[in-house]
Amino acid sequence: MRNQTTRGWRRYINVVNIGALIIVVLTTAPLYWMATASFKGTGEISASPPTLLPGHPTTGNYADAFGGNSLGRYLFNSALVSVVSTVVVLALAFFAGYALARLPMRGRGPIMIALLMISVFPAIAVVTPLYLLERSAGMLNSYQGLIIPYIAFNLPFSIWILRNYLLGVPRALEEAATVDGAGPLRTVLSVILPLARPGLFTAGVFTFTATWAEFLMALTLNSEDSFRTVPVGMALFSSQYTVPYGTIFAGAMVATVPIAILVLVFRRSVISGMTSGAVKG
Amino acid sequence: MSTTGTTGTTTGEPSGAAARTAGKTTGKTTGKTTGRTARRGTARGTGRGTTERRLARAGWLYASPALTLIAAVTLFPILFSVVLSFSEVRLSYGGFRIEGFTTDNYAALAHSSAWFESLVFTLGFTLVTVVLELALGTAAALVLERLGAARGWILAVLLLPWAMINVVAAQLWGYLYNGTYGVVTWAIEALGGGEPAILGRPVPAMAAMAVADIWKTTPFVAIIVLAGLMQIPRDVYEAAEIDGSGPWTTFWRVTLPQLRPILAIAVLFRTLQAFGVFDLPFVLTQGGPGTATQSLAILGYKTLFQNLSIGPGAAVATSTAALVMGCCLLFLRAFRAQVDEGGR
Repeated sequence: MRNQTTRGWRRYINVVNIGALIIVVLTTAPLYWMATASFKGTGEISASPPTLLPGHPTTGNYADAFGGNSLGRYLFNSALVSVVSTVVVLALAFFAGYALARLPMRGRGPIMIALLMISVFPAIAVVTPLYLLERSAGMLNSYQGLIIPYIAFNLPFSIWILRNYLLGVPRALEEAATVDGAGPLRTVLSVILPLARPGLFTAGVFTFTATWAEFLMALTLNSEDSFRTVPVGMALFSSQYTVPYGTIFAGAMVATVPIAILVLVFRRSVISGMTSGAVKG
Repeated sequence: MSTTGTTGTTTGEPSGAAARTAGKTTGKTTGKTTGRTARRGTARGTGRGTTERRLARAGWLYASPALTLIAAVTLFPILFSVVLSFSEVRLSYGGFRIEGFTTDNYAALAHSSAWFESLVFTLGFTLVTVVLELALGTAAALVLERLGAARGWILAVLLLPWAMINVVAAQLWGYLYNGTYGVVTWAIEALGGGEPAILGRPVPAMAAMAVADIWKTTPFVAIIVLAGLMQIPRDVYEAAEIDGSGPWTTFWRVTLPQLRPILAIAVLFRTLQAFGVFDLPFVLTQGGPGTATQSLAILGYKTLFQNLSIGPGAAVATSTAALVMGCCLLFLRAFRAQVDEGGR
């Protein structure tokens, strides 16, 4: 608090600064270890005591991850699944969110509660029936087999975000458009859609991050190597006897950097999504 | 804070939203009445009933693709899972057969020490991580609130663990804990802790898993608690200061009570997530050593996909889900006021 005076103020600021330093160090130290390990050679990565910086920096791990292992394939699978899921989620959630925020439907309250419950439902409880159904339908190890559940399980949260966002948009604009003779769909697309952009960013970043990281469904539904997403690939890199940490961390860097950039660019959207009530870790 | 502005706009019309969230008729009626009054003000007031019906129909039309898909892909499997847990299921080539109703799957659970151990571990893990994450997250938020220009930077840093793939974070911690060359192992040895064998013994393995989880999710708690702190009106603090209250008393008597709604939300979502923990133990410990870190989700997965015992596995999964939903409902009941207030 800046308006506190002299001595007390100084002491306070020191505590705060030390606290801030601790937060930053504890948060970044493991990340630092990952980043440096990805440039260490095989011998050095398992050296004891561990080295703070790579003695002979090498990009061999990256070559291994893309060459000998199918990291490129995993990245492609993940990107495809996440992008398609996010786009479809946004399109469907926008209309549903608009309807639930604005239009006089009966039972909106119970629908919102049901959506909230679904969005926190433990994945383990639905993975068996999904597995059995997809097995019968021959959909295991396919893109649509993963995209469809991803869309369904990410829709509820996105609907929440968009509905909450649209509740804050003044009605006057729509009414003006209606008076000007625009039909309902036209009003939604030309007036509401542009206004909903921040809400769409939030919902989009959350959906993309969630699908990019999802593990249990991807592991059970798409276990075949050519359909694995990044998390499944990263989990199964380890063989029974050795864990090829160099390759894993090279892969980890490649998988983390895009999502880190996305989240940092859209950090206001992310923070507003976290704090807008329908919170999700 | 740069983010408060965004938060403000996103969360507009808080009371109406909260009331509708709770599905309370009062909130809905108020919302509708204002809508009607507004429309009556326009020239088209006469056809109000029909307009209303037409709009409601448009609403269902807009919402139906999303709601249908959700119902088909989430509600149906949820119910199907309950059916499976009461069935004897046989896997056949490319398909499966359900043979008859049985309660054996649940009877087996009741007598299974593995299920009981998993339940105790999952409850303990949830309790420890949620309590520590709230304490540390609140402390971090108090620091962040008092920071000047550096706050935006630190918030950006905090988002990194949150955005990281769980599996990747688990691999990273597995490396740090490695028995021969992990840096944590090395640090413990250097401090005279002998050979720690962190992941090789039950209690250290559990603690190690909790630390990894706390590292990954405390930033999330810190960020939402910070948003809660920013909403506390300044004059409340001024009043406390005039009354001669010190920082410690102010925190317990003023700040914490004001944070209750947001803390309630944080507890709810962290608890639900911790209860379903899967990725972390799958990669870090595979549930071991022995079954020390075998969460309910890991047990369910092993039963379902390694032993291919679909019925018993579905019973584990369904009981886990029932526990989660039960907690969720109890919590919403107990903290309804707080959740409504915070759940804007």
